[in-house]
Amino acid sequence: MYTPYRRAAQLIVLALMFLVPVLNVHEIYAVTGTFYAINIGRLGIADPVVILQAVFAAGELTARLGAAAVFPVFLALMLGRVWCGWMCPYHLLSDWAVWIRRKFRALVRGKTEVEPLPVRKAFSANMSRYGFLLLGTAVAGAIGIPVLNYLSAPGILSTEAMILVKSRHLSIEFGFIGIIWLLELTLLPRFWCRMFCPTGAFLGLFRGPFTLRINPGSVSPRNPCCKENHCSAACPMGLAPYREGHDLLCTNCGRCVDACAHGRLRFAGFKGTDARGRTRQEQRS
Amino acid sequence: MSSGIVDFLKRVVLRGENPLADNYRENRLRPPGAVSEERFIALCIRCNRCLEVCPYGSIKRAGLGPEIGTPYVLPEEKACYLCMACPRLCPTGALETGLSNPERVRMGRARINTSLCYSHLFLEHDKVPDATGSKIGALCNTCYNVCPHQDKAIKLEQNLFPVVLDDCVGCGICVERCPVRPARAINVIPAGMGRVDEAGFHFGKARRHFERASAAEAEGKALKGEQLLDRKYRIDGSRDVPEFKAPFKVPETLEGW
Repeated sequence: MYTPYRRAAQLIVLALMFLVPVLNVHEIYAVTGTFYAINIGRLGIADPVVILQAVFAAGELTARLGAAAVFPVFLALMLGRVWCGWMCPYHLLSDWAVWIRRKFRALVRGKTEVEPLPVRKAFSANMSRYGFLLLGTAVAGAIGIPVLNYLSAPGILSTEAMILVKSRHLSIEFGFIGIIWLLELTLLPRFWCRMFCPTGAFLGLFRGPFTLRINPGSVSPRNPCCKENHCSAACPMGLAPYREGHDLLCTNCGRCVDACAHGRLRFAGFKGTDARGRTRQEQRS
Repeated sequence: MSSGIVDFLKRVVLRGENPLADNYRENRLRPPGAVSEERFIALCIRCNRCLEVCPYGSIKRAGLGPEIGTPYVLPEEKACYLCMACPRLCPTGALETGLSNPERVRMGRARINTSLCYSHLFLEHDKVPDATGSKIGALCNTCYNVCPHQDKAIKLEQNLFPVVLDDCVGCGICVERCPVRPARAINVIPAGMGRVDEAGFHFGKARRHFERASAAEAEGKALKGEQLLDRKYRIDGSRDVPEFKAPFKVPETLEGW
């Protein structure tokens, strides 16, 4: 149900990544910028990790810097990490790598069951992500160079798209995308988004009781409700959605909602339900 | 070599200097409105907005190195024409966002190499100094003519030779148009990047550019874009007349004379 919409959103973002520089070449400046920082009309938006580093590297927080991070933080507070699941161009590439792997396993090795992701536990993956974010921010502050920008997959992808359109070549940073994508294809599927991506990690921090999340309804089982465990098999982040919908790794992609044969999982939180799926009236009683 | 390493260790260990701080002090012009180089490196998020918006394609992107992805202007290839589109768009203030008056830009300051400048050579020798004709002293003054801030940034001393003044904004248009090759007779020393003595720093790069252009010319390939423009600039009536492929006959007599 959600998958076609999600794919459409991802492909639109991918197309816009190329369309914006084309329009800019023809001097139409309605939207300008890359995924590091973008202007839509007069609304200035920047990747909050980029702002975080600039604040630490320059040792100052100006109104301009703070204002640029407001919109992505607001979006994360309302809808969770929809940037990762629904828009990020690298997530699309990552999906593609996993799809190739699955086809390869089915055709060549005859295995159809879902393969486990590296570092299975959500806790370990989160520790790795936040450790990386902290380390990167500390290094940026220490040497005064925003180092995590060189490791921002969506930022690099959109910058390369812009360079490709404007000057018909790719720069050296594209090699980084190539390396992590090939690693995901061969050895470590989904490792970048789950264990390293600083933007995803930082966006995940902005959560409230009202934030959109996956919820198994009024029953919150400890064990999977069906033998096949459809939802866990579908989750790209290696979570068990029937009990880990609140996890910081969840991107609200909706794949588990589509996969659940009983229709038990649904999006909640935004409509006034809390983390355990209770409505306001139920909370009061 | 070893003394260089000892120096480096001394600076880091004894004086407590930041070992990476100096690496990015390469002599490149930052786009107009750039804050001091150290703050620029910290604030610039490599989003390339300035590069995207530049209508002249003047802003380039630094390659591999500590400053990878940061914008710079290489006036030998394309100078900054001071349209002031980029400072307005900078999302972090690495370029001074309120800056809109091109006269207030301080990208650097031009410096004339008097041993190369045609006008200065002419002044010294008062005649063609080189028998091969490769070094023609002439009243060139291209830098004066192309300067957007004429008579304030650059003036003609005694109406003979150009002299750079303090109001120079460092846009580099004079460097781009300077006819002296392969090294230009006028170079911009970037502001706040040290190494003042190394004006003409892009000599190597400019020479490669020049060699590429002349190689294409020697092979008889059709020149395009910048290279063709470069060739046209170097057409010089005092030397061999270039052959034109278009059918054009020089008229023997002019009607009405």
